Amino acid sequence: MRKIFAIAWKDAIVRFASSSELIFFIILPLVFTFLVSGGTPPKEGIDDRVRIVVVDQANSTISKGIIAELDRSTAVRTEAYPLAEAEDLLDSRRASVVLILPANLDIQSIQDGTAQVDFRQLPNNLDATIAERSVQTAIRSVSSALNAANNSVKEAEIKKPFASDAERQAYFDASLELAQSIQKDSPERVNVIEGSTPDKIDYDPRANASAGQLITWVFIPLFGISALFAYERQQGTLRRILTTPTSKAVFLLGTISGQVVMALVQMSLLILFAIFVMKLSWGNDPLALFVILTAAALAAGAIGTSMGTFIKTEGQASGLSIMMGMVMSLLGGCWYPLELFPSVVQNIVKVLPTTWAMQGLLDLALRGGGLMQILPETGVLLGFAAVFFSIGVMRFRYE
Amino acid sequence: MLKTFLIGIKDLRLAFRDRAALILMLAAPFVLTLGLGLVTGRFSGNNSNGLSDIPVIIINLDNDQLGNALVDTFQSADLADLVEPVIETDVNAARKSIDEDKAAAVVIIPEGFTKNIMPQRGDFTNQAQANAEPLKIEIYANPSRSTGAGIIKAIVDEFLSRVEEGRVSGTTTIVQLMISQQLTPEQAEEAGLAMSERLQDSSSNMTDTLAIKLNSSTSSGEQVEFDILAYIAPGMALMFLMYTVSYGGRSILAEKSQGTLPRLLVTPTNSTQILGGKVFGIFLTGAAQMLILIGASSMFFQLKWGDTLGVVMLVLAAVFGATGWGMLITALARTPSQVASVGSAVMLIFGILGGSFISLDQMPPLVQTISKITPNAWALDGFTTLGLGGTLADLSAPITALLSMGLVLFLASVLLFGRKNLAQK
Repeated sequence: MRKIFAIAWKDAIVRFASSSELIFFIILPLVFTFLVSGGTPPKEGIDDRVRIVVVDQANSTISKGIIAELDRSTAVRTEAYPLAEAEDLLDSRRASVVLILPANLDIQSIQDGTAQVDFRQLPNNLDATIAERSVQTAIRSVSSALNAANNSVKEAEIKKPFASDAERQAYFDASLELAQSIQKDSPERVNVIEGSTPDKIDYDPRANASAGQLITWVFIPLFGISALFAYERQQGTLRRILTTPTSKAVFLLGTISGQVVMALVQMSLLILFAIFVMKLSWGNDPLALFVILTAAALAAGAIGTSMGTFIKTEGQASGLSIMMGMVMSLLGGCWYPLELFPSVVQNIVKVLPTTWAMQGLLDLALRGGGLMQILPETGVLLGFAAVFFSIGVMRFRYE
Repeated sequence: MLKTFLIGIKDLRLAFRDRAALILMLAAPFVLTLGLGLVTGRFSGNNSNGLSDIPVIIINLDNDQLGNALVDTFQSADLADLVEPVIETDVNAARKSIDEDKAAAVVIIPEGFTKNIMPQRGDFTNQAQANAEPLKIEIYANPSRSTGAGIIKAIVDEFLSRVEEGRVSGTTTIVQLMISQQLTPEQAEEAGLAMSERLQDSSSNMTDTLAIKLNSSTSSGEQVEFDILAYIAPGMALMFLMYTVSYGGRSILAEKSQGTLPRLLVTPTNSTQILGGKVFGIFLTGAAQMLILIGASSMFFQLKWGDTLGVVMLVLAAVFGATGWGMLITALARTPSQVASVGSAVMLIFGILGGSFISLDQMPPLVQTISKITPNAWALDGFTTLGLGGTLADLSAPITALLSMGLVLFLASVLLFGRKNLAQK
C-alpha cells in the first residue's frame, strides 16, 4: 500500500512540476465549460425560423407593422440591418432574402396606390420561398383595411362619381374606419393543436456543457498516462524499478490510482463550479455521482495504460492523448447532443467509453436519476476498465 | 537570402519527419473533421436543415371552393420542393401519424368551411347562418418538428389572409354603399354573391390584390448549397495550425538550449538571417500543413473549398497571421516546454473562440468581439465565404485583417527578441 501511495505521489509531483499544468487541469476546462454552455442556445431558445434581413428606411407605422407581423410568424423572423450591410450579406450569400421597406412607405402611398417594397432573394432558394409567402401575409395583414377602403371608394365611384376630392376623402375615411372595425372583429380561422409526439432530445446547454467538458478534460490527461510511461521509459527510471521488489501490478496500480485520484479532484472542482456558478443540480445523489465519476476515470485510466504499452515516445503519446480524447468526446456526445447524430452513428458510438460516461452523467444532471439509473453505464465503464487494464498488464514492459 | 531559405527548408523537413508532431499537425485535424462529418450526418446524407420536402397530411372535409383552393395551394408547383402533401380522409389515422413522428403536421379543413365564410343565396335573410360559429382549420402540429409545422401554419395563414382580405374588402364595399344609400338591402344579396366570386378569385391569386406592391428580384448566379464540411474542415485545420506555429517557435528555443543556435552564429550568418529563416520555416510548415489538409479533404471527402486562387491567398494570409502568434508566444517564453504548454492552450482557446467547435453566430456578442484577435475567426470567415461561392474579391476584409495581425505581432516579437540574446545559451 505504501508503494502504491509513493508511486501515486511521485506521479503527482512529476505532473505538477510545471505550473502550466494548471492551465489544462482547471483553467481550460472552466473556460470551455463557460463558452460551450453560453455559446449553445437553450433548446427552447433555438430559433430556427427562416431569417429575413430587413432594411427599414421608412420607420413608419406601416413598416413597423409589417416587421411586427413577420416576427409573429411561425416560419420567419427578422433581423434589422442598414442597407449596405444587408446587400453585403445577400452578395456573400449569408442571407437568403433581404426585405427593403423604402422611405416613402406610408399610409398615403398605399392610398395613392404607389406603395411598394423590395424583396431580394437568392436564386432557387427554399428559404426565400418561405420568406416571400410570409412577407405577403404580413403586407396583407397590415394593409388589408386600407386596401378595402380603396376598393370601396372605387366601387362607389363606379356607381356615382364623387362631387369633390373632399367627398372622396370622407368616403375613404369612413370606409377605412369600417374596414378596421370588420378586421378587428374577424374570427380566428386556425386552431393549432400540438401533437403528443415524444420529444426525443433531452438537452440543457448548461448540463450538457458541464458533463461534456468534464469528460473531455478528464479523459485527455488520463489517456496521457501513456505519456507518463513513455517519459519514464525514455528517462530509464522504469528500468530502475526492476531493481526493486515491485511487481508490474503494483506499479501500474500506483500509477493509475494516482491519476484517478487526481482526476477525481479535478472533477470535484468542475462539479463545484457547475453547482455554485452554473446553478446545476449535481448534488441530488452524491453517491451515484461518485460511482459514475470513479468508473469513468478508471475506464479512461485503463485505456491510457493500454495506450502506454504501444506508444514509444512521450511526444507521440501526448499528441495521441489529445487527439483520442477530443475525438472520443466529440463522438460520445460530449460536445453536441447524441440525439442529433444520425441513428447509425448513435449506435456505432456505443463502443466508446465517453458515450457511456456522458449518458451516466446526464442521467444524474439532466434526467434526475439516481444510483439505480446509472448502474448500466457504470457496469459498462468498469467493463472497459477491466479489459484495457488487462491488456495493459499483459503488454507492459519496463524496457 | 539563400541562407534564410535553406534554414526554412531545413525546419520544414524536420517538422515533417517528426511523427509526434505529425499526429497533431495532420492526423488530429483530419480525424476530427471525419468525426464531425459523421455526427453532423455529412457522410450519411442526413444533414438537411429540414426545410425541404416537409411531410404534411391534408384532410379536406370541406370539399368545396375554399377547401379545394387550399389543397391546390399545397400542391402548387412553387411549393413542390418545400412540402410533400398527402391527401387523406381518416382524421384519427392522420393524428396518429403525427404522434408517431411520421409527418410535420396535419391540416384538417372542416366540413362547411367554404359556406361558413362565403355568403350563399338566402344567407342574407337567414338569421341562423348569420349567427353561425366561425369554423376553423385545424393544424395538428408535430412538436418535435416545430420549424416544419411552423412553415405549414405560415402557408395556411397566407392562404387565409387572402380569403380574409377579400372578405373585409367586399363587406366594407357593400356596407358602405348601403350606408350611402347607393345599394338597397335587396340589391345587397346579389352584390354579396358577386363578392363571393371575387373572394374565390383572391383565394387563388397571391399577389395581384396586394395593396403594397412586392418587387421581387433574384440575385444572379446559381444556387449554392453550403456543405457543412466547408465550415468544419477549415475550422479544424486552423485550430491545429496554431499547434504548428507554436511547434516551430519551440524549435528556436530548443536550438538555443541545445547550443545549435550559438553554433550557427559562429558561421558567417547573422541573427536576422537565422530568425528570418526560422520564421520562414514556420510559415512554410504551416502552409504545407494547410494545403495537405485541403488536398486530403478534397480527395477523401469530395469537399469543394471554392475559388482556388482565393483558397491559396487565404491560406497564405492565415498562416502569416498564425505565424505572428507563434513568434509572439516564443518571444515571451523562456523554455521550449513553456512554448509547448502555452501553444497548446492557445491552440484550444483560439479553436473555440474562433468558431472551430461552435459557430460564432451562436456565441455571445462579447465573445464574438474577442474572437477578432484570433486568426481562426478571420480565416474561417473567409473560408465560409469561399464555401458559399465567393471569390478572392470577396476576401479583402479577412485577408487584410490576417496580414495586419501577422505584421503587428511579428514587429512586437522582433522587439521582444531584440531584448533577448539569442546567441547566449
